Amino acid sequence: MSGRLAFLLVATGFAVVAGVAIGPVWVAPADVWRALAGDGDPVVRAIVLDVRAPRVALALLVGASLGISGAVLQGALRNALAEPYLLGVSGGAAAGAVLAVAVGVSAPSVISVAAFAGALLAVALVMGVARAAGWRADPRVLLMAGVVVGAFANAAIMVLLAGAPAETTRGALWWMMGSLGAAQWRDAARLALVLAVTGPALLHWARDLDALALGHDAAAALGVRPEQASRRLFLTASLLAAGTVAAAGLVGFVGLVVPHIARGLVGARHRAVLSVAAIAGGGLVVAADLAARTVRAPAELPLGAVTAIVGVPFFLSLLRRIR
Amino acid sequence: MSVFLLARWSTKGRLEAAVAAALLVLACSRQETRSAVDDAGDPLPPAEMRTRIVSLSPATTELLFALGAGDRLVGRTRWDAWPDAARTVPDLGNGIRPSVEVVMAARPDLVVLYATGDNRDAARAFRAAGIAVISLRIDRIEHFERATRLLGDVVGEPVRAVVVADSVRATLERVRRATDSLPHPTVFLHAWESPLLAIGGGSYLSQLVEIAGARNVFADFPGPSPQVSFEEVLRRNPEYILAGPATLRTIRETPRWQRLPAVRNGRILVMDTSLVGRPGVRLGEAAVSLARLLHPGVLP
Repeated sequence: MSGRLAFLLVATGFAVVAGVAIGPVWVAPADVWRALAGDGDPVVRAIVLDVRAPRVALALLVGASLGISGAVLQGALRNALAEPYLLGVSGGAAAGAVLAVAVGVSAPSVISVAAFAGALLAVALVMGVARAAGWRADPRVLLMAGVVVGAFANAAIMVLLAGAPAETTRGALWWMMGSLGAAQWRDAARLALVLAVTGPALLHWARDLDALALGHDAAAALGVRPEQASRRLFLTASLLAAGTVAAAGLVGFVGLVVPHIARGLVGARHRAVLSVAAIAGGGLVVAADLAARTVRAPAELPLGAVTAIVGVPFFLSLLRRIR
Repeated sequence: MSVFLLARWSTKGRLEAAVAAALLVLACSRQETRSAVDDAGDPLPPAEMRTRIVSLSPATTELLFALGAGDRLVGRTRWDAWPDAARTVPDLGNGIRPSVEVVMAARPDLVVLYATGDNRDAARAFRAAGIAVISLRIDRIEHFERATRLLGDVVGEPVRAVVVADSVRATLERVRRATDSLPHPTVFLHAWESPLLAIGGGSYLSQLVEIAGARNVFADFPGPSPQVSFEEVLRRNPEYILAGPATLRTIRETPRWQRLPAVRNGRILVMDTSLVGRPGVRLGEAAVSLARLLHPGVLP
């Protein structure tokens, strides 16, 4: 097991190094090194330090956040298909971003605030529905509420885009496909802040997740108040997911599959699962982004699609080995 | 370099007139208050001699060649194919959401971007790296004149900019005068089939069609390419359809179009989309080609 963990760490580290060293422009390793030392040609320095490095940092944070968020939601809802984007977060964020684009906003920072607000609104709506339906009854109520809110958000997006000029549609589509093309240190710092607040809290509540996994009654017997705990976990994990969509748009698949990879590596204890999900998610998104910006360079592929293309074969091979 | 324009559509006397007008305008331009921002709302870069220019839109690449700055181009988009010399400039990929590091690696001292929300991040990244940026957008003929003037200033070719703008204006005027007294048929400008998009009053193409002696039935729609219903096309009953070569077949083979008298009577005019599809230095030439389509024999 520790061998697999070591492999994961090495692979993620390798992805980070490759992400900084490789790009659509060839930079010799020695020049990359010089740039990292703050030396050498200013254009190369700009490419390495201002274009690639913040992008890799943001990819790492996006992947880690989605991995943790997915692991928490799957645990809290006791459902292997739960993931942040299934629970209204993506739909709400997309509707917020598209609304901003449709009313003529073009400043990326405003669009990302609109996405964040849309995600929070959707989460609030989902929790409201779940509460009205009797929170206690069944974690599936939350899932269904999330799916329904997501469907509503999708319908709203289609209405907004139906009569919109091509340029609006293009901007909205780019956002929905997920991209780190605009990454700067400021974006990475913002997401790092969200992760620094929510991550330790979720790790702290990992024991609640272990208790919830045994069922509500067993959890109650262990001194965990299941409703309160799952509400708290759901809200915090959704906040983290909202932070990632604000930074990178919709990057699918990571939140769904990385927790399964993590459980396959370290078993069911959530403290370990969350930590491994963070590392695996980070490595996966860094690698996927590297592929997104180099495979068809100088054009870029949508990151959300590449994460799935890179991740699915890996996931399938893992599934076979677990059996 | 700008002479190729003039030579084609102007007589020698007109060239001299254009140069004289250029010098006159230049003399007056000191008092003219210039807008201090580009089409993305960002401050204009200072006017100076730029020696390494990357142009990331076909219209501005054409314009830079016309301004005599073509040999200073070190990058273009994969779509920039005119003039022929543009093909020898390195292809840097897309002009919308370009690869920032690929553009940086061309070591430009000026990047000319198409002004759209999708390019905001790229503009910020170039400025952060100390590269001058100007974002331009040409939707209407007056935008072309403005873009020409701004670009001419920024690359240090203000006189040529005036000459280029004047020569285009002169050709457009010539076409307008030639078609002014003729009957103006109504036309539907077909932009896209599904969803059905027309060219609206907000597009330079609508202006070109009016100059070429016709009336765009959707000129009252403010956008450049509004979505319209087929019913509305039937109701407005245009005398001609103007379409690109690619859509010609669609119109001929789609049954609903047969309901339109213009189509039944074979009154479909095929535009040279490589010429009229872009609001650049060939606006005058585009107006001439449209006038020849609409009023054969008027312009020899």
